[in-house]
Amino acid sequence: MLDTTVDNMIEEKPKIIARDVKVVYGDKEALRDVSLDVMDKTVTAFIGPSGCGKSTFLRCFNRMNDTIANCRVSGSLIYDGQEISAHDPVTLRARIGMVFQKPNPFPKSIYDNVAYGPRIHGLSKNKADLDGIVEKALRRGALWDEVKDRLHETGTGLSGGQQQRLCIARAIATEPEVLLMDEPCSALDPIATAQIEELINELKQSYSVVIVTHSMQQAARVSQKTAFFHLGNLVEYNDTGDIFTKPSDPRTESYITGRIG
Amino acid sequence: MNSLIVFNLIVSVFAFFVCRAKASRLREKHTLLVASNTHWGWYGFLNVFIPTLVLGVLIHYVGIYFINSGIRSSTALEFASHAEYLLVKENVNASVILILDEISQIRFLSSFIVIISYLISGIEPALLAVQSGTTIEHLDLVVLALKTKIMALTATLVLGVVIALMQAQRSINTVSANYNAREKVEFVIISLLGLSSLIAVLTTVGIVISLLSETINFAMMHSIVDFLFGTVWNPQFTSGEVEGYGSDLGILPLLWGTLYISFVALAFSVPIGLYSAIYLSEYASDRFRSIAKPVLELLAGIPTIVYGLFALLTVGPLLRDSFTQPLGLGSNSDSVLAAGLVMGIMLIPFVSSLSDDIINAVPQTLRDGSYGLGATQSETVKNVIIPAALPGIIGAVLLAASRAIGETMIVVLGAGAAAKLSLNPLEGMATITAKIVNQLTGDTEFESPETLVAFALGLSLFVITLCLNVLALYIVRKYREEYE
Repeated sequence: MLDTTVDNMIEEKPKIIARDVKVVYGDKEALRDVSLDVMDKTVTAFIGPSGCGKSTFLRCFNRMNDTIANCRVSGSLIYDGQEISAHDPVTLRARIGMVFQKPNPFPKSIYDNVAYGPRIHGLSKNKADLDGIVEKALRRGALWDEVKDRLHETGTGLSGGQQQRLCIARAIATEPEVLLMDEPCSALDPIATAQIEELINELKQSYSVVIVTHSMQQAARVSQKTAFFHLGNLVEYNDTGDIFTKPSDPRTESYITGRIG
Repeated sequence: MNSLIVFNLIVSVFAFFVCRAKASRLREKHTLLVASNTHWGWYGFLNVFIPTLVLGVLIHYVGIYFINSGIRSSTALEFASHAEYLLVKENVNASVILILDEISQIRFLSSFIVIISYLISGIEPALLAVQSGTTIEHLDLVVLALKTKIMALTATLVLGVVIALMQAQRSINTVSANYNAREKVEFVIISLLGLSSLIAVLTTVGIVISLLSETINFAMMHSIVDFLFGTVWNPQFTSGEVEGYGSDLGILPLLWGTLYISFVALAFSVPIGLYSAIYLSEYASDRFRSIAKPVLELLAGIPTIVYGLFALLTVGPLLRDSFTQPLGLGSNSDSVLAAGLVMGIMLIPFVSSLSDDIINAVPQTLRDGSYGLGATQSETVKNVIIPAALPGIIGAVLLAASRAIGETMIVVLGAGAAAKLSLNPLEGMATITAKIVNQLTGDTEFESPETLVAFALGLSLFVITLCLNVLALYIVRKYREEYE
């Protein structure tokens, strides 16, 4: 009894606190007054139909929206006790890693792909140290056994699922605290998807994972918390089980039963 | 010929409309036709036009063949050489044209008029009229040629009319539901398209063959070893000496000049072009880019002769006055450096525009991936974008190099005409292209090694740039595949 309370208390500590976040592209409002807490050591899923703002919201967390010229973010996003806009984007992105929709390995060797982040952030003291970091990241990315004999072959030569796991390994090589995943399985077949989902399950032991997905089944399988977005609004945010069994908002119910979307 | 074409066109157009109308009438009766009405129209048109055209051309050449063999077998003349025969042929043809023009003063429907007036009064009046102005050489041959010509014209016209009408009748009768006129029409269209693409290819082949044959001519008059490995370029234009001696025609000094100037040009244009491409595609604001890129591409449209003038009148003297003379290095305004710099300026937009396209082709997802790992913009450019774009950039540099090697006007005006093997960039040097211009301009005898060497030089240049282009295309293509 006591154990579970302590456990709950740790889990309940929010990693990122979003309050009234609003995103505008040019004069088009993409996201309207979204408030939610992202928990530590939890998988949080963002679901919703295309164009509902879920990816936009995800990209606020590591300031990837900065790279889009006419995009403006307002409201409050607090990470590590500080506004995200006050963080230096370089260190912020080292601590909040990201995996993209399409596998995007650099046209370099597998080793250099994983070593990219540690190198630019100076995380290793010497070659042996870097080797260790690369191996650890590839092991956690569940790719080590498949590639350990060909670390110096190009990363673009791997299969789609392997490429995506390489990208995950690359993202966790910088030891981030939060891992953002923007539809990481949308370009993969069911077997590769299952591997990635298993990997996400492993990763939540040490990270807070936020995953944007089109697949409600995937959200149900991997996440503990689910947020449903619709037309730029956060409709409902709750435990995944509750969202899928007893949604409180009629729009959520329509979406998960397949009536809208 | 022209009367036939006019008539031919009239019948063809007539066949077009009749066939189309017939097809449309069939369709109104709810018959399902394999070909559309327009296809039927074109079927009629082509069915008339092509056979009559082929016939006209055929008869024209048969006529010419008879005239030529008549001249050749003429017993009155013994031709000493082929050239003499060509000369007589030329004269006869000119006279024939003169007389034909005399018979028919107007161009339109001239062959029709020629035939009619021949039938009425023969050729004597026109012959006399021309003879009153000038004397006609080889009169018997001219009369023979004229008669053959008029016979050919008559045959063309009569046969043409008959065949055109027959074909028109036949195509109109063919119009039916099941006959696939569409296939025939499309075959003609495809043949035309294929022919167009063949013309470009065949022209290139023809150029190469003519270069090759003249080079072989050159090789027979002058040692090819001296050409390929000789270190002295010193053509003698003094006639009367024993031909082929006296001249040293080694390509090496010219090759050296070409490569040296190209190297200076590339050393100048590649870094600047590349940096400007990186700035434009990665850092510049949209507004700056929208102005700078067209301006840069405008530079690429400046004719090279203008750059040549710039090298001759501005850069060369500037280098001489501010650099060469004050330092006591000489008094040349023509120099490798001046030509190289100006050529470099010419190549900047070329390198920059190609590199810009290549850098833009690097997928945005790679940039996102790098930014997502916390890389700064310059780290991303250095570690991801340049490596990803490198094969393409190398291809662009090779293309620029082949342009530099083939560039002519800038080096003719800016680099001087002295062929030498020297390391000093402030001296003038000659390039392969400049020497080709030199050897072919001026009053020289064509069949001499000094002139024919231009073709050997041209072939060498062609081989070098071809190799560079093939290499560049290979690299660029290989790179494209990586992201598809």
